[in-house]
Amino acid sequence: MATPRECQYCHAELSRDEIGLSKKLFESETKKGKYSCMPCIAAMLEVTQDDLVAKIEEFKRQGCKLFG
Amino acid sequence: MNKKLIYADHAATTPLMPEALEAMLPFMKGDFGNPSSIHSWARRPREAVREARAAIAECIGAEPEEIFFTSGGTEADNWVVKGSTGGLMVSTYEHHAVLNAAQGEARRGRDVVYVRPKVGSSGGYVMPEKMSKAWKEGIGLVSVMTANNEIGTINPIHLLSEFAHKRGALFHTDAVQAVGHIPIDVREMGVDFLSASAHKFNGPKGVGFLYVRKGQKLRSLLDGGQQENGFRAGTENIASIVGMATALKNNCARMDEISAHLEELTLHLRMGIERFYSNAVFLGSGIGSQLPGFTSVSFPGHPAEGLMHMLDLKGIAVSTGAACDSKNTLVSHVLKAVNATNEIARSTIRITLGSENTVADVDAILAALKRILRGAGNDIT
Repeated sequence: MATPRECQYCHAELSRDEIGLSKKLFESETKKGKYSCMPCIAAMLEVTQDDLVAKIEEFKRQGCKLFG
Repeated sequence: MNKKLIYADHAATTPLMPEALEAMLPFMKGDFGNPSSIHSWARRPREAVREARAAIAECIGAEPEEIFFTSGGTEADNWVVKGSTGGLMVSTYEHHAVLNAAQGEARRGRDVVYVRPKVGSSGGYVMPEKMSKAWKEGIGLVSVMTANNEIGTINPIHLLSEFAHKRGALFHTDAVQAVGHIPIDVREMGVDFLSASAHKFNGPKGVGFLYVRKGQKLRSLLDGGQQENGFRAGTENIASIVGMATALKNNCARMDEISAHLEELTLHLRMGIERFYSNAVFLGSGIGSQLPGFTSVSFPGHPAEGLMHMLDLKGIAVSTGAACDSKNTLVSHVLKAVNATNEIARSTIRITLGSENTVADVDAILAALKRILRGAGNDIT
């Protein structure tokens, strides 16, 4: 089984959606194996987690396969 | 707390001007008559179409009978490309409405020749010498856009049309991105055909026009009634035609004022970016030779798609490549055409400001970009 990825900042275990969002937003970072969780992304961008959830839903509606 | 939304994607589409909406409403309510009818219900719609045609013609230095209403820029471009005869010469960074139409013609056996814009730091422009190198006998129509929709560069259309005419070819320009934003005079430009779309200049969507110089003929694409002097069948979209004419008239009347405002904002934006991100690469030669309000900028190392989504999360709408292409991640054909490296092309965003944007909006865009690029682990000063 693959090792679950963790947030580069708080080391929280990441969900599939968080991994997908990291890839969508921070492609260069994820290529170096660095991923972030929703609370850390929200804090970094100064947006709410609800904003991130809405964005993820939008990606899903567009058929993006990165999300669960 | 509700965040303030900032729209900075005016090259994709513009908000409908309130005056245009006002002018449209009567034709969506009581004045619904068909202008082709012979009873009195046709009178007002017919008069409105006549007035709109005259107003649009005046804005671009044409005669009213040289204006043909269409469903938008795509139809106008398709009409010229498919309705013309002889070989075609098109630039490699045209909108897909021209490029794909030309490719379709090539599949049907027509000769299609491509001309590349100038490349390099001051690139993005089609020049006659480039056309001369690509020229082939038998070309009947040259099509080069007035201003590019991704990088905003404005072509020297009068030189290009002169070149085409000297070799016996007709000249079309897709001016969708330029009409209503920079002065357009079809006589000075020397064009035979010019396409425009209302939603790019604060008019409604789904309507545009094609200028056809007097004496020129195009094969009709649509069979049907005798509308548009028998050249474009289909009942006229009266409300939208009226809205388009109102928007264009107002934009042309305020063009100097709006341009000055947009140049000030663009300068503020570019200087702001340069201050915190010295490695930023601006495409096109800058203010004066690009459309007002247009900034195409690359942040090397930061894929544009991520930047766009992060700006969107912060309530700021910008674009990567052409808006119609925003779902695919292929490098834009425009950026390829101007020889942008893969790295630059993949990290280029388009920020296009409009008349309703303010200095505060630009400051908010700068603050958001700074925050995002810093968060993405950058050496921001």
